[in-house]
Amino acid sequence: MQIFAFLLILMGMGAANADPVPTDESNWLKTMAFAAHRIDFSGVFIHQAGGNIEMSRITHVTDEDGEHERLEGLDGGRRELIRSNDQVWLFANGKRLRAERRQFRKIFPSLLPEQITALNENYFVRQAEEDEVAGYHAHTVVFQPRDGLRYTRKMWAHSDSGLLLKAAVLDGHGYIIEQHAFVQLAINGKFDRSWIIRDAAPAEEADRQLRLSSMPQGDPAPETGDWQVDSLPSGFRKIASMRRTFRENQEPVIHMVFSDGLAGISVFIEKVSGMSHFHSGLAGQGATHVYNRMVDDSMVTVIGEVPARTVILVAESVRYAGR
Amino acid sequence: MMKQDISALMDGEMHEEQADVFFDKLRRHPSARNDWSDYHLIGDVLRQPDHVCRNLEKAFHERLQAEPTVIAPRNHNSQRVRNFALSAAASVMALALVVWMSVQVGHEPAPQVAAVQQSGEVLPVSARADEYLMAHQEFSPSADVHGATTLVYAVAGR
Repeated sequence: MQIFAFLLILMGMGAANADPVPTDESNWLKTMAFAAHRIDFSGVFIHQAGGNIEMSRITHVTDEDGEHERLEGLDGGRRELIRSNDQVWLFANGKRLRAERRQFRKIFPSLLPEQITALNENYFVRQAEEDEVAGYHAHTVVFQPRDGLRYTRKMWAHSDSGLLLKAAVLDGHGYIIEQHAFVQLAINGKFDRSWIIRDAAPAEEADRQLRLSSMPQGDPAPETGDWQVDSLPSGFRKIASMRRTFRENQEPVIHMVFSDGLAGISVFIEKVSGMSHFHSGLAGQGATHVYNRMVDDSMVTVIGEVPARTVILVAESVRYAGR
Repeated sequence: MMKQDISALMDGEMHEEQADVFFDKLRRHPSARNDWSDYHLIGDVLRQPDHVCRNLEKAFHERLQAEPTVIAPRNHNSQRVRNFALSAAASVMALALVVWMSVQVGHEPAPQVAAVQQSGEVLPVSARADEYLMAHQEFSPSADVHGATTLVYAVAGR
């Protein structure tokens, strides 16, 4: 049950379309599942990935229209992001740069039971010490993987509200390689809401910029069904697959997402012409690794919050099985 | 001199031309690379406990006990951290909106750090990698820790 509740926060379930949490476990964990989306809070948090560290202020409020969120970078350059449900606006130095519509994991709630099973198969889950983060009392839970193809995760949740106060990703040696943590936080206060954007126009602009079309599940379209990912760490299941276009490229890109319940791995397949000089390569920061390689005239890009060896393993197993 | 440069770079107080010279120096002088690596290692050690001010000594001591190789200069991990940290610093200077800077590791389809060391070049793997990263984070469960931290990268300007 506890795992279930934790899982919910990890997936960032929207309160609006969420099934109720089973009621037989009436402890704080239940509340936690929805806390990040239902609670009003404002605070400053650090995000550390590898040798890089950023500080941001986040304000999250809810009203009859849903969720509104404001994220401000505090490290020079004054970047700011405002989100209302799935609509996102990006600003730099007070100037609007672009608007986008994002999906925000609507897909997860229907897949919960499967992923709970996957979690137990792939991670040892245990409650760890109680702690204090940003002045709030926190419970902690550790997800330790059963193999070396994924990372350990540790989460600190506010004991009263369930809000996630800190989350860390640890490598095989127990070192933190990426973390988010509040350093200052106010929960359920009176927060400024003047920044909320309420005009609907940018939505159309966003739709033009980022066009998504779902690929029917279990009914692979001929042009995508021929692409195969032969090798995935145990417990990773396909949770989404689609063709989508990105602004710079009119040609739709195949995007498949796999998850073991905690970590995600995306496979992108893109037709490229005139890029014969392109080399395969690995990149990464913190827990996220990116690897790409050419398969005939297509570029395969694999991104995931998994060790480098895992994205490489997956990318090397992608093949075109058609014709 | 070198140490001042490293410090200036890490604090974001270096001009682009200076930085180019600096990176060039870093490539050619192993000792400079050691300094760079050590600075980041120190930074990492400082950052990793809950908060820097909380039980720092204890946490540090515990980590030393648990993993004595933490101060071994050229181990697998510190090497990788160094390279990625380099690329991150470079991207800050590029001032691109969402630039996912990355390390080109050559043709070998292997995760070995050796490949990273040989190449040493900082090149974007793909112009679209940043878009892909955002797209990935829409779906990845681990990307959603606070609700919108998936978009931290965008706000941070990387």
